[in-house]
Amino acid sequence: MVKKSVPDWLNSSLWSTAPPPTPPNDDDDDGRRIGKSSSSDSTAAPSNSSSSKSANTTATVVPVRPEPPPAVEIRDPLSSSNNNVENGSGTVEIRDPTGDDVSVQAQLLQELSRKIVNIGELRKLASQGIPDGAGIRCTVWKLLLGYLPTDRGLWSSELIKKRSQYKHFKEELLMNPKDWKSKCFFARQSEITRRLDKSTCIEKDESLPETGVVLPRSEITHGEHPLSLGKSSVWNQFFQDTEIIEQIVRDVKRTHPGMHFFSGESQSATSNREALKNILIVFAKLNPGIRYVQGMNEILAPLFYVFRNDPIEENAACAEADTFFCFVELLSGFRDHFCQQLDNSVVGIRATITRLSRLLKEHDEELWRHLEVTTKVNPQFYAFRWITLLLTQEFNFADSLLIWDTLLSDLEGPQETLLRICCAMLILIRRRLLAGDFTSNLKLLQHYPSTNISHLLYVANKLRTQPAR
Amino acid sequence: MVLVLALGDLHIPHRAPDLPPKFKSMLVPGKIQHIICTGNLCIKEVHDYLKTICPDLHITRGEYDDETRYPETKTLTIGQFKLGVCHGHQVIPWGDLDSLAMLQRQLDVDILVTGHTHQFTAYKHEAGVVINPGSATGAYSSVTCDVNPSFVLMDIDATRVVVYVYELVDGEVKVDKIDFKKTTATTAH
Repeated sequence: MVKKSVPDWLNSSLWSTAPPPTPPNDDDDDGRRIGKSSSSDSTAAPSNSSSSKSANTTATVVPVRPEPPPAVEIRDPLSSSNNNVENGSGTVEIRDPTGDDVSVQAQLLQELSRKIVNIGELRKLASQGIPDGAGIRCTVWKLLLGYLPTDRGLWSSELIKKRSQYKHFKEELLMNPKDWKSKCFFARQSEITRRLDKSTCIEKDESLPETGVVLPRSEITHGEHPLSLGKSSVWNQFFQDTEIIEQIVRDVKRTHPGMHFFSGESQSATSNREALKNILIVFAKLNPGIRYVQGMNEILAPLFYVFRNDPIEENAACAEADTFFCFVELLSGFRDHFCQQLDNSVVGIRATITRLSRLLKEHDEELWRHLEVTTKVNPQFYAFRWITLLLTQEFNFADSLLIWDTLLSDLEGPQETLLRICCAMLILIRRRLLAGDFTSNLKLLQHYPSTNISHLLYVANKLRTQPAR
Repeated sequence: MVLVLALGDLHIPHRAPDLPPKFKSMLVPGKIQHIICTGNLCIKEVHDYLKTICPDLHITRGEYDDETRYPETKTLTIGQFKLGVCHGHQVIPWGDLDSLAMLQRQLDVDILVTGHTHQFTAYKHEAGVVINPGSATGAYSSVTCDVNPSFVLMDIDATRVVVYVYELVDGEVKVDKIDFKKTTATTAH
């Protein structure tokens, strides 16, 4: 069906987000926010959820994403055993398990405990949002990303194989950072020396302290000296690697500075950062075509967080290896966004942004026209970050985990789903966008207001071109 | 693995306008940790240029240097090696190994870097090495006009130093290597 104007369900007041923070007893709109934990969110549960539930049933027939119960600030029970994550602004919220949640949790657990996991069923359940408790998310993500095979029996052998492979990568490509320079370098250097020594002149016996002897010089085959600028030179490679490693270290330090899991000087935070760094270095070395690009650390962070907080000790200890493979898998669909040369090509970031633009035009022409033509807000200004970083920077950490649940589980694939979610993000704030000019719109889009994630994902779901099952 | 650049006797602007372009293209910032300069730069601009290659610059005074406050000799320790720097015009006969050896003993260093003769030499003396990096611009010296531009890069790793000698011969950069291990020596005298 061709949508010429904004469909009625979109115009319902349900979808407008609340204007900047008011105390949490709004009756007029349902834009409940799962906001940052510093503000305590305990909205009156029963009345709100029942009213929105009734509004939901008037909408067209689509699997209704259950409204999450109000977010209550609780310390993440998993973290207290693993690492002292949450204090102050770094708290990750857990939803109070109510009826709906418990049923999703139970269903997921049941699905996971089968001998052969049904991926299709798992996807359907996961797209409704994975509850935070019982360490389900880590296993589900691993299955969705293809790291764990569907046959449970094969899990332990696969894990052992992959983990040892990662260990092997690390040994080959990384050295203990303290003596990385001297060891690795010295190893290369002595190898070069050995090679050269064989082919050039003999060295005098240095055990006798001879005086006044002119030291023998041996000629170097081109390129094997430290100042060499040649591409094939070992030294040049070394200096280039050092540069990339420096950039990785800098970016890792800046990842999620508000979260105790990543920042600060505690031993756990430092080891977490170390793990992130290792993964990125190994990835850069194994992929010389793309190396490391700023932003990869942001995509890596949620993966590592989820896997590291696995309640099963063994898995949490091997989180680094698991995260590496899942990161590679996740990035495989989005690699082209990071490659500068592909920017203008059919697969590059500009093409993706154009697709988003077209999607918006298809679903909400008025908004599209207002944004791109009237106020001339080039989608590159805001969508670039949304797309390349998979929305990790637009929402708080807990919300971005929920969004990733949907991203990873959707049948259409993460790229398509991402575009639909971005489109939904635009449509949700359409009132404010339509009322704004270039500056205010740009400001709004670059600092996307907190919104109810389940609403967002519901709208995104409705934007499917094919009917959802 | 510490890279130390040793050069000197540039005599800019009096005897040479600048470093050879092939040398300049190789000297990029970020790779070298220390610079040892034997002297005779002669002007401040050259000093500033060397500082951009590496902020840790050790320099001794040559007889034509504008800056009068450089020291006559300098010693520093890198890895397990003690290095000494002196321009060399003070040591007579110029370039004579025995006299330089006296200076080496006096400064009590393993590696002595001097210049002034504008000729690259590397001698082994007792447990140490005497290196002359030559003139990096190929400027004529008091003794000869036939000078090839040259400088030295030392790669110091604990007790082992690899000396890379860069020489511009017939317009091409020739690189040689000298290996030297510090023997757990005889603290003589």
